Amino acid sequence: MKIYRNFLSNWRNILGLIFAFAFFSISISAPFLSPQTKDDPGPFKQIGDRTDFVPHPPSKKAILGTAPQQFDIFHTLVWGTRDALQFGLLVVFVSMFFGVFYGAIAGSAGGIINSTMMRISDAFLSFPIIAGVVFIQQLVSSTIVAVTKDLTIQQYLAGRAFEINSTPFTEFFAKVDPLIVAMILFSWMSYARITNTRVITLKENEFVQASRALGGRNIWIIRKHLIPNSIAPAIVIASRDIGNVVIMQATLTFLEMGGNSPWGNMLAMGRDWIIGPGGSVFEYWWVYIPVTVTVILFGITWNLLGDGINEIMNPSYVRASSNNTKQQEN
Amino acid sequence: MPPIFQFILRRLAILPITLLVITMLLFGGVMLTPVDVRVQLYMPKGNSKPKESFIKQLIIKNYLDQPFPIQYGHWIKTLTNGDWGYSPSLYEDVLPALIRRTPVTIELALYSLLFFIPLGVANGLLAGWKPNSVFDNIFRSLAFLATSMPTFIFSLLLISFFYVKLGWFSPERISGVFSREIASPGFHNLTGMLTIDSLLNGRFDIFLDAIKHLFLPVITLTLYHWATLGRITRASTLEERNKEYIIAAKARGVEENRLIWHHALRGLLSHSLTSVGLSAANLMTGVFIIEIIYTLNGVSSVIVKAMRSGADAAAALGFSVYSVLMVVSLMFILDIIIAVIDPRVRDEVLRS
Repeated sequence: MKIYRNFLSNWRNILGLIFAFAFFSISISAPFLSPQTKDDPGPFKQIGDRTDFVPHPPSKKAILGTAPQQFDIFHTLVWGTRDALQFGLLVVFVSMFFGVFYGAIAGSAGGIINSTMMRISDAFLSFPIIAGVVFIQQLVSSTIVAVTKDLTIQQYLAGRAFEINSTPFTEFFAKVDPLIVAMILFSWMSYARITNTRVITLKENEFVQASRALGGRNIWIIRKHLIPNSIAPAIVIASRDIGNVVIMQATLTFLEMGGNSPWGNMLAMGRDWIIGPGGSVFEYWWVYIPVTVTVILFGITWNLLGDGINEIMNPSYVRASSNNTKQQEN
Repeated sequence: MPPIFQFILRRLAILPITLLVITMLLFGGVMLTPVDVRVQLYMPKGNSKPKESFIKQLIIKNYLDQPFPIQYGHWIKTLTNGDWGYSPSLYEDVLPALIRRTPVTIELALYSLLFFIPLGVANGLLAGWKPNSVFDNIFRSLAFLATSMPTFIFSLLLISFFYVKLGWFSPERISGVFSREIASPGFHNLTGMLTIDSLLNGRFDIFLDAIKHLFLPVITLTLYHWATLGRITRASTLEERNKEYIIAAKARGVEENRLIWHHALRGLLSHSLTSVGLSAANLMTGVFIIEIIYTLNGVSSVIVKAMRSGADAAAALGFSVYSVLMVVSLMFILDIIIAVIDPRVRDEVLRS
């Protein structure tokens, strides 16, 4: 209980919790905040004249104005929040789950198995994430081109490409966004690493030894003793990663390098009105400011929570701050 | 043998293992794709619509119907021969295309390193030395904002203000006035880095212009990495400043400035540099985004063209190998620097 009180005693953590709560409630109540229409299922909605390329300022019809071709910015923000949360949570949970188990298994096995497994994770770590993302997406698109080469355009449009020439590889990527796979593949290593170092020191402790002496099987010890006692730093990384992963997705989408983030797409749409000839961020602020503020807030939220968890978990910080006037901070 | 050489030898021995593991993983990914895709890696120039028989020939010639170890071995052999494949989206071979663009990326990274390492270490150290002081609070909020701010949004903001509104700085590497002059035979391209080349050629006006074009990207990069490094330095300062040797030095009456810049800094530096090494991969990706937004024609343009034109397996694989080589060699150099600066790190490795 003391830990929760400590956590809530800092205004930054409370701010982070409030923002996180807001993002979650927006994504849950998206259908009520900005209902989708029959013509526009998905995160984009066009209102008014679709051939009008000039963005219009906020009005009653569109609370936050419209982007070129009259895409409603508020609608995209709301539904984009849902997409962003789904993407971030999925990537982070899968990579954390895999990384923690990987690190714990390697650490508890020890010896040559440990060093081999950690060498593999180091190899992944020395691989720049964007290069990995590009690599996987290129493999997928090359495969699609190779597979669909002999198809007629009618067959292609009917979505028959993967039925005619299907391999397990293409079938998998027809269902899953390659970016998600790439992100998971190149972000589990930090969890594995940090869990590994903790597990190696933990497994010499008496309670683990006692459990082993009582006949506990390896997997049981890992699940019951090692992981619960070494998961704290992994949670800190996970919390920060949710923000980072979503920002990375938005960045890649914005740069037209794959990914499918509504926020990134919205920014890409309005780009020419900001930095193109005749554009100005002061004149056409609504195509830029609302989306950027949302993206920045999303990153800040998860960073705040990560920092907050880190502070209560890290005893050296508590010592350092308790020496000083802690009241000042609150 | 002096211990530092032992250390270097040991690190050198690990190097091929790391490279082997990564390239195997990379090629393992390639192996998941059908043979039609793998053939693209070996497709020579000018064959946009190859005949069936030609493809069959290529498959047999490059052992693509053989099991994994043989294919992998052949691929490594072609890599070491400098034959990295032909990229249809760039209309040239992958390896020369990468090498030609490398100086641009290095120049960018070099200037940012020059700024953010001293600034990050100094600010983090000062902030951590007196936690919760005014300076610490300012530093922490700034660093927090800088790490949470997405790079591409920050760059857009800078461009829209300094370029579109004020017209002070501009994207790309050099102004149009000078671009022809650089390509002319009178201008010697020795390093490929414009700021250095222009000085070597005695052209101060080109140097100033290149600096003007580098300013915004370097600022963007510096800010993010300054914040990351500063936060890590601050965290390790918090631990370091209560250690016995600092307290003993304080008791001996060592002056505070000397205590910070001589005693504490030496103990910290290895931690901070490790963070620089860990974010080496991060720096590569950071440079990436910036190169695209500021339209600097760096290494990333290889991959951007490939991504936007559809499918280009040779460029993607070549770029992956290239970045792995870059990062691994960067890490290697950094490891040695850390070992020279901090003998504790070196001894720890030698003991294990």
